[in-house]
Amino acid sequence: MFKFIITLLLGFAFGLILLASQAFSWFRIQEMFHFQSFHMFGLLFSAIGTSAVFLFIIKRKKIKSAQGNQIEVKPKKLELKANIIGGLIFGLGWSISGACSAPVYILVGLHWQIGLILLAGAFTGTVIFGLLKGKNGLL
Amino acid sequence: MNTPLAWYFAGPLIGLIVPLLLILREKQFGISSSYRFIGATLLPKIKYFNYSKEQDRWQIHFALGLILSGFAAFQLFGAFDKVVIQPVLDYEKAAVTIYDVKNGLQFFLGGILVGFGARYANGCTAGHCIMDVSQFATSSIIATVSFFVGGLIGSLFINPIIF
Repeated sequence: MFKFIITLLLGFAFGLILLASQAFSWFRIQEMFHFQSFHMFGLLFSAIGTSAVFLFIIKRKKIKSAQGNQIEVKPKKLELKANIIGGLIFGLGWSISGACSAPVYILVGLHWQIGLILLAGAFTGTVIFGLLKGKNGLL
Repeated sequence: MNTPLAWYFAGPLIGLIVPLLLILREKQFGISSSYRFIGATLLPKIKYFNYSKEQDRWQIHFALGLILSGFAAFQLFGAFDKVVIQPVLDYEKAAVTIYDVKNGLQFFLGGILVGFGARYANGCTAGHCIMDVSQFATSSIIATVSFFVGGLIGSLFINPIIF
């Protein structure tokens, strides 16, 4: 229960930041891809920078988790073809819907009609991937 | 609400979620695996969804928090789509109506590409761009560049046709 509430609150906080900074918005995404404002770039770069500093400290100081375990951080495995083709497809979807995975959920709460359409779409895409993944030679 | 929270506040706050998740929950920041978890729950017969889904259950709780944040914002400020953000090319007119259900098909198709692409690339903006680029992972730097190339194509060439 405690874990559930912590996770929920972190999600809530993340959502509030994306809302307050308007990063969830279709318009901010278009603005970014048209290079009309530094806002989204600054947001992404400073988020990455902050995260990198903390990850460095966590690894360096061997900081333990609240549960008392050694924190392990593993980067994702390199899958060149999947990273590139999957990345291009994701990018297309990101710019068309103006939302990546987290804003999809925010929009469910903010604007339930479009939010649920987006969620249904993202789920359908995941199912299509799951079906194709099972086929030999594909993906 | 026309002025966004400045990036130099919002960005570091987002970055802070990463160590908080690690320290409090021993989880690496990410969100798109929640879709796979839903798949594993609803359609367990599909082989790809037959995996140790418990590792991703926390993302559903995280997603629930995201939904609640959107709902809270709606209660406080109403529909954000009425807020006209800085004009983007000739999208000023669209600003009021972009989240209208008449654009549902575009959003649905965009959503499909987001869900498919995130699984194929093994991560999205959270897991790749923020979590793993901040560990300088090659896979995530390549994925992030690909996200942007795809996004440029969509935003510059496809959106003007379909919206």
